[in-house]
Amino acid sequence: MVKSELQRDLLDILGADGLVTEWAQRRTYEADGLAAYRSVPALVALPSSADDVAAVMRACVRHGVPVVPRGAGTGLSAGALPHPEGVLIVMSRMHRILDIDPVNQRIVVEPGVTNAAISRAVSEHDLYYAPDPSSQIVCSIGGNLAENSGGAHCLKYGFTTHHVLGCELVLPDGETVELGSSTLDPPGYDLRGVLVGSEGTLGVVTKITLRLLRRPEAVRTLVADFESPAAAGVAVSAIVAAGIVPAAVEMMDNLAIQACEEDAAAGFDVSSGAALIVELDGPAAECDAAFAETVALCQESGSTAIRVADDPQERALVWKGRKAAFAAMGRLAPDYFVQDGVIPRTRLGECLARIAEMAAEADLRVANVFHAGDGNLHPLVLYDSANPGEGERAESLSARIAELCVEFGGSLSGEHGIGVDKACSMPTMFGADDLAVMDRVRAAFDPAGRCNPDKVLPTPRLCGEKPGPYRPHPLEAAGVIERL
Amino acid sequence: MMHPEAGTVAEAQASYRPAELAGAREAVLAARQADTNVLVRGSGSKLRWGARPAGERPWSVIDTRALNRLIHHEPGDMTATVQAGMPLHELQEQLAVAGQELAVDPPRAARGATVGGVYVANDAGPRRLAYGGIRDLVIGTTVVLADGTVGRSGGTVIKNVAGYDLNRLWCGSLGTLALVVEMTVRLHPRPEASRTVLIPASAGDATAFVLDVLASPVECALLEWSAPAPTQPQDPLIMNTNRPHRSISVHDQRGQAGGGGWLLVGLEGRAAGLDARVDQLVDVARRHDLAAEPADGEDGLWDAWREAHAGTAGDDGAEGEAEGETVARAATLPSQLADVAGGLHRAADASGVEARLHSHAGLGLHDAIITGADPAAHAATVTAWREHVCALGGSVVVRDRPDGLDGLVDPWGEPRSAQLVKLSRSVKRALDPEGRFAPGRFLGGL
Ligand SMILES: Cc1cc2nc3c(=O)[nH]c(=O)nc-3n(C[C@H](O)[C@H](O)[C@H](O)COP(=O)(O)OP(=O)(O)OC[C@H]3O[C@@H](n4cnc5c(N)ncnc54)[C@H](O)[C@@H]3O)c2cc1C
Repeated sequence: MVKSELQRDLLDILGADGLVTEWAQRRTYEADGLAAYRSVPALVALPSSADDVAAVMRACVRHGVPVVPRGAGTGLSAGALPHPEGVLIVMSRMHRILDIDPVNQRIVVEPGVTNAAISRAVSEHDLYYAPDPSSQIVCSIGGNLAENSGGAHCLKYGFTTHHVLGCELVLPDGETVELGSSTLDPPGYDLRGVLVGSEGTLGVVTKITLRLLRRPEAVRTLVADFESPAAAGVAVSAIVAAGIVPAAVEMMDNLAIQACEEDAAAGFDVSSGAALIVELDGPAAECDAAFAETVALCQESGSTAIRVADDPQERALVWKGRKAAFAAMGRLAPDYFVQDGVIPRTRLGECLARIAEMAAEADLRVANVFHAGDGNLHPLVLYDSANPGEGERAESLSARIAELCVEFGGSLSGEHGIGVDKACSMPTMFGADDLAVMDRVRAAFDPAGRCNPDKVLPTPRLCGEKPGPYRPHPLEAAGVIERL
Repeated sequence: MMHPEAGTVAEAQASYRPAELAGAREAVLAARQADTNVLVRGSGSKLRWGARPAGERPWSVIDTRALNRLIHHEPGDMTATVQAGMPLHELQEQLAVAGQELAVDPPRAARGATVGGVYVANDAGPRRLAYGGIRDLVIGTTVVLADGTVGRSGGTVIKNVAGYDLNRLWCGSLGTLALVVEMTVRLHPRPEASRTVLIPASAGDATAFVLDVLASPVECALLEWSAPAPTQPQDPLIMNTNRPHRSISVHDQRGQAGGGGWLLVGLEGRAAGLDARVDQLVDVARRHDLAAEPADGEDGLWDAWREAHAGTAGDDGAEGEAEGETVARAATLPSQLADVAGGLHRAADASGVEARLHSHAGLGLHDAIITGADPAAHAATVTAWREHVCALGGSVVVRDRPDGLDGLVDPWGEPRSAQLVKLSRSVKRALDPEGRFAPGRFLGGL
């Protein structure tokens, strides 16, 4: 039997404590952060080095078995969903910081290091790693790279892809290649750029070189209350139009505020229709001037109250409240779906109104937490799985919201990725040829289709024979841009 | 004497000038039907970059300059969709009406460099320090592959992780993978105000200063070091842009204090607070015993420093001065500036050539302009400098060069690994299996 031979090979490579074979233990890996999808992996490998990973990969090639990489398992699109006949390669043991170069503001780490540990490791040099997903205390940098993760402060500083300089990749055939470099623009195609955000489908990343930033001299934070998210959206547009580039602009609607307050008691006004968190940072003199302007713009846009959270403790509390938003939903409903879609910021009010209508039609509540600066919505669809049919209704509403974002000229995902969850929705955003081009690139890395199969791109196996409906981009529909 | 690539353009069996996506696709299909290879060109300013394309088949040229429209500008979302052949300076003029810009400042924009050409060559200027390169600003693309497949990736919103980020793959691919037809870009507000400071500094002093500035709270828009300081551009086309260039040759003398080297530091942002930031910067200079002088009145200073990176070459088939010039780009860590400069000057002295160095010091990107003597001496200089820079962990790529240089030195240098070439080849084959797009031009003979 293939599996027992593979198991023997992997045992030779990893030793008994590096291989999980017992069903009960394997089962603990059956899902990532999107627990609606579950599948117990045939084997779980816990490599300690890049050599281990390459050897495991080669063994899987020999036995014709698929692999799925996994970081901390916090992904929200079932990107790390195991393959029932495959090996799950879990990177948690590869969590060393390999090199810090404070002078050039770079760090080299293994992929299992958590996002937050990186900033901790360099804080003595007044440096930090900028992308800050809310899950940063637990999620791995390898997972961040694979998802091109974002965070509240990505509005000004960019996403993971702007901070990954280079990496070491074990290809699906077991060979190792260095992509990118510690310098900018190493000669060759920017394959590093293709790898970031590829959701574990192009190989297993075993080492990452990151760019660090100097801590800003000043940070100023405010919470402005508004009657409605649409009114807060007007303020966001005014701030941006004034040429201010805030470090972060986050919004919560009333339902989200209620949940956060109960959970974190961060001092948000539970009667407010929407809370806007605006953070500015940078050189002190510039920051102060822009902050005063921001306060004025919020007032002019109809803010009902503004709280300036200037002392570090109060600021930390505001962010604790915001970052606890997902977890806090448990206070409002037994179950919820987290959606992740992007719309052009200028269409925020319109889009939220449509979401509210759709929620009313489905007789469900939707709380909204979002990165308002870049139009990245996280509608949370609340439901109670104890009520027959409610789960299905909620799931369908959540999926329709993502597709609504595409209709508005946005994207199916701003940061959580496509994974299994949205692979079958990809044809709503991309045409068959667009997807075919992506598939050609995938096959260049993984001709045998062995690395994280059935993720990201729709396959007949996953989605049935019929491709989903491609709806033209609004600009295309309006005849402004053309497909052909 | 014509450069081989310019020759390819002249000898092309067919030339296409599509104005729309459909026409671009037809051109690619027609070139395939005629069994030709395809050289894509915009303004022609970077046709010499990469290795000399080679191949058995005759050539078709696809000229993107009729793909010259701004398709859509959404000021509220700070995005724009543009055809790839639009001259960058025309795009900037249109965006400026809304107080916005595509925050890239490559050389040769005034000569008509196209948005798509800048993107496909991954060209950039000093302000990359503040805004990232063009690869960080292109959020969506529409390309035509050699078999006529039209592929779109990314989208029109800044934040988007749906599907592979192929926008980054096209960037820097020098027309060897696909014809880029349309691009959606992220825009920035034009800075309200800017300040400039000039500081005479040797390479060693400049290195220490640059690292200190990067470690300080002063956020610079540009952080450049040049030896010697770029003087007034000689090129008549540049002069024709109606920008007065006050001569800065006087700095050459003052620059002797710094061994002929100069730092140019630019700050941008909101007017309020800018004075305080300049003071901070001057403080850092003082700590290093360097004399910082404001240079705000000097119109055209940034232009001159930016254009210096491209040498004096640039135009398709340009004659004269550019003929004898080699432009080579090194990439290193910022801390290696002095070492890079030292290596260049030793290499130049040994081969009896003149070498100027223009460095995006904050980014670790350095352009050497080599003149004098003959191509063999240029080649020897590049080879010696490359050896030195590679030993530091960096790389050297030759951009513009005299015809005679080809064959003496590989413009790409040794690929870093066989695995990288193998993977790159498999990407090239997946997208362009018949090898029609500028075969031989890219790293690894792709
Ligand atoms: C409460 C909560 C809040 C969140 N907030 C945010 C947020 O603010 N912003 C955001 O962007 N995301 C957020 N997420 C989503 C998630 O944390 C991120 O996607 C994160 O990057 C996943 O990291 P991970 O280590 O858990 O990866 P996993 O979930 O283990 O894997 C994610 C994907 O990466 C691949 N992968 C993992 N490691 C490697 C590797 N070494 N090589 C190749 N592929 C690999 C996997 O195959 C999978 O496809 C949140 C999740 C939760 C649960």
